[in-house]
Amino acid sequence: MSQDDISPIAEILLGARDMLPMTLAASTYGIAFGLLATQSGFSLLQILSMSAFVYGGSAQLVALDQLVAGAGVGAAVLAGAALNMRVLLITASMRDAMVGRPWWQVLMGVYLATDASIALMQTGKSRRALSSYWYLFGGGTSLLIAWIFTTSIGGILSKGIPDPTRFGLDFALVAVFVAMLPGLWRGRADILPWIVAGGTVLTFATMFPAQSSWALILGAVLGGVTAGVVRGD
Amino acid sequence: METEIWLTILGLGVASYAIRLGGFLLALRLPRTGPWARGMDALPGCLIMSLVALMMLKAGPLEQVASLFVLLIAVKTRNLPISMIAGMIFVAGARLMGF
Repeated sequence: MSQDDISPIAEILLGARDMLPMTLAASTYGIAFGLLATQSGFSLLQILSMSAFVYGGSAQLVALDQLVAGAGVGAAVLAGAALNMRVLLITASMRDAMVGRPWWQVLMGVYLATDASIALMQTGKSRRALSSYWYLFGGGTSLLIAWIFTTSIGGILSKGIPDPTRFGLDFALVAVFVAMLPGLWRGRADILPWIVAGGTVLTFATMFPAQSSWALILGAVLGGVTAGVVRGD
Repeated sequence: METEIWLTILGLGVASYAIRLGGFLLALRLPRTGPWARGMDALPGCLIMSLVALMMLKAGPLEQVASLFVLLIAVKTRNLPISMIAGMIFVAGARLMGF
């Protein structure tokens, strides 16, 4: 154990607190998903189950979209899974927080991984504390609870919600990812990988608009490959 | 439709979990130095960069300008909640003025 060991409870609470901006952004998205799901014929139990088992906003939305379009279960699962493929890259970068942990903690830890985990690891780093397992656990759990809760709320209300665009709430999700960029920037060595990643996405998604989830993965992987091949200083 | 929905939830739930666990297991097998490690270290930034690029492609002019605004605030303050709320106020304000 390291000497600056703080209690797991304190780390969990800190993680939940640092996750708050992402929780707010995901909550607006969650209400929107709940609304759509109800309108598409999902019951409250189904909304709740999907949010708990899948725990991925965009993947759930795409699967829902495919179902409504009559594409069938196979296509819906495949589309959602394609969109979620990027989470593979996220749990990969969470390795240091989980390696050497008991297996049940690893099984729980990977389940809580989302895009927001990257932001949380970043915040943890800027606190000069290693983004520890319990820190990520606290953040992930609080986000999961908020996600299940808000998608259900959206499903129950389904009508009579004030227009979210009036308050700029629909922009929260975009804003949170844009605001993460400066924190992720590690210096000049990132220039080329980031240009490759962004450029690949713009090119691929423009050429194949229906395949934007693959554009995402291709962009991130090619960016990573660039960083691996090119020696930074 | 009822059965279809449940099968989709189950299928996508299992697939998503397999992806999550797969990423960690994959990372365990990769070397911790050299090109692989450099690539893995750059991955989070590249992934969020890709997400933002895709969002910009789908966003309207107002959201694009607002994103630039959020980026500037974030560079200045290095504070996620403040940058996010500033962006939302920007968008809400611009819409209020009829943009």
